Amino acid sequence: MIIYLLVALMFFIGLYGIIAKKNIIKIIVGMNIVGYAVNLFFILLGYKWNGIAPIITKDMPAAQFVERAVDPLPQALVLTSIVIDLGFAAFLAALAIRLYEKYRTFDTDKIRRLKG
Amino acid sequence: MNHLIVFPVAIYLGAAFLLPLLCGKNDVLAGISGIAFTFLSLAVSALLGISVFTGGRIIYFVGGWTEPLGIMLMLDPLSCLFLLLTNTVAFIIMLYSAVYIKKYHRAVYFYVLFMLMLAGMNGILISMDFFNLFVFFEIASIASFIIVAFGLRAEELEASLKYTVISFIASSLILFAIAMIYGLTGTLNIPAFMHAAAHLPQTHLWFTAGLLLAGFAVKAGLAPFHAWLPDAHSMAPAPVSALLSGLFIKIVGFYAIIRLTSNIFTDIPQIRTILLVFGIVSMLLGSFAAYGQNNIKRMFAYSTISQIGYCAIGLGIGGYLGNLGVLMHIIAHAFSKSLLFLNIGAVEYMTGTTDSDKLRGLNDSMPYTTLLSSAGMLGIAGIPPMGNFWSKVIIIIAAVHAGYGGIAALCIIAAVMTLGYFLKLQRTVYCSKKEGAVKKEAPAGLIAPMAVLAFMAVFAGILLIPGIREPFIDKAVDVMDNFSYINIAIGD
Repeated sequence: MIIYLLVALMFFIGLYGIIAKKNIIKIIVGMNIVGYAVNLFFILLGYKWNGIAPIITKDMPAAQFVERAVDPLPQALVLTSIVIDLGFAAFLAALAIRLYEKYRTFDTDKIRRLKG
Repeated sequence: MNHLIVFPVAIYLGAAFLLPLLCGKNDVLAGISGIAFTFLSLAVSALLGISVFTGGRIIYFVGGWTEPLGIMLMLDPLSCLFLLLTNTVAFIIMLYSAVYIKKYHRAVYFYVLFMLMLAGMNGILISMDFFNLFVFFEIASIASFIIVAFGLRAEELEASLKYTVISFIASSLILFAIAMIYGLTGTLNIPAFMHAAAHLPQTHLWFTAGLLLAGFAVKAGLAPFHAWLPDAHSMAPAPVSALLSGLFIKIVGFYAIIRLTSNIFTDIPQIRTILLVFGIVSMLLGSFAAYGQNNIKRMFAYSTISQIGYCAIGLGIGGYLGNLGVLMHIIAHAFSKSLLFLNIGAVEYMTGTTDSDKLRGLNDSMPYTTLLSSAGMLGIAGIPPMGNFWSKVIIIIAAVHAGYGGIAALCIIAAVMTLGYFLKLQRTVYCSKKEGAVKKEAPAGLIAPMAVLAFMAVFAGILLIPGIREPFIDKAVDVMDNFSYINIAIGD
């Protein structure tokens, strides 16, 4: 149970980074932390203590495999989700460079031409 | 015939891959192929539409792998209605962009992103699996972040930053909810989840439903989550604004909310109450905020928030009339709001500004554009016989029937306010006098798609004539009223 609380804590640390920080780079790091927290949560749902990789070999009885192997589906899904997070991070990094060229700052308080 | 169901996604994904290879730097060729691909997808959707509305829903297993191993796709009258709407409006917007995009460099990347957005939107409509839905949601979203910043001006980059960061939180919430769903039921297939969820404690379902609702409400632009919408919709290139406002928020956000409310979490009627509150707040906030805007595109964006509020109210009331009102409002608003954004795009194309303080006497310089803009504005404001008039009337009648007299009154007030800010705009910008106005009408390539949209916005009410309503829109309303994913049998 405590590990899920730690994941929640990690999620909120990332959320704090996104909401409270003013530097775009720190916001991107916060977003990565949120992404990791969600991915970790997903992985933990399919994990078993002392589990083995879900690869069945010839000399392994099926019952033992079912008992010990971790659930591979969350891992496959998290792989997709990591790629999506990568897309976000890469795009935002490119956006940060462009924004710096225009505004000469990473401070989101100074990047405020749109109002109302 | 059933294999056609994958084509609305496959065509656009293929187009996004092929366009840069085939066209390179040739913008004209890219425009023509873009139009060809959208037309192809429209034709496929029309075939699918005939099949679904005459023969009932299509269920398809990708690669022949049946449940629980395979990926399940479904097209029922509700999603098919949205599919037809998306592809029709997207085709018209594509015709417009082929001319409009001359303003920008490297037009081919614009088409690639446009195609990816459409692929994601069509994918959301056919998905029957939570994770599949999420992936298509992200395809559409990430393409839209990039396309908002397409002009690379400082304000566009800023709008894109805001949009991306807020959307990221939304997609994290949705992924978190999907992880919860998998952890609780061990499946991501929606019908299988419904079967397993019958035995779950209510609190778990509440938590999941809340996370999903918050995530999709961000995309729909409902009021407490709307902060990104005015920036992104006002700063994107005009065809993209039209796509974002007319279709994107409705498919990516609101369609998912419709499914959650009326087909998935049918045991939690409190979602409807929450939607009513969100709807009222968005409707009033959008109407009030639209008054103070100098940038005309920004005013239209706030008007979108207000109109999506009507949809949320209709869905919150529910019942036959409420659901019919929601669908009609979505259809009519898609036509009118796309028309308005394309229209202001034509003004920007000719004059280079969208500031209502600088534009004067457009009626003298651009008579056709002015005429079409008034069609769109009267449409959104709900003047008979425009499509939006009927949908607003249906929502108001539904509110009165359900005993929400106060909400009906607020809807009428918001409709009058909508008319108010559009009339103010008409008076100051379009029908005012300007010394020495030179006649500079937008090119016919921009006017013609707008005229088609205006025609559709005026005659959208035809869908309500009994002979047309029963085989078409009533079937979609029936899906919202009576269908639950639990009705779909799953193999074992």
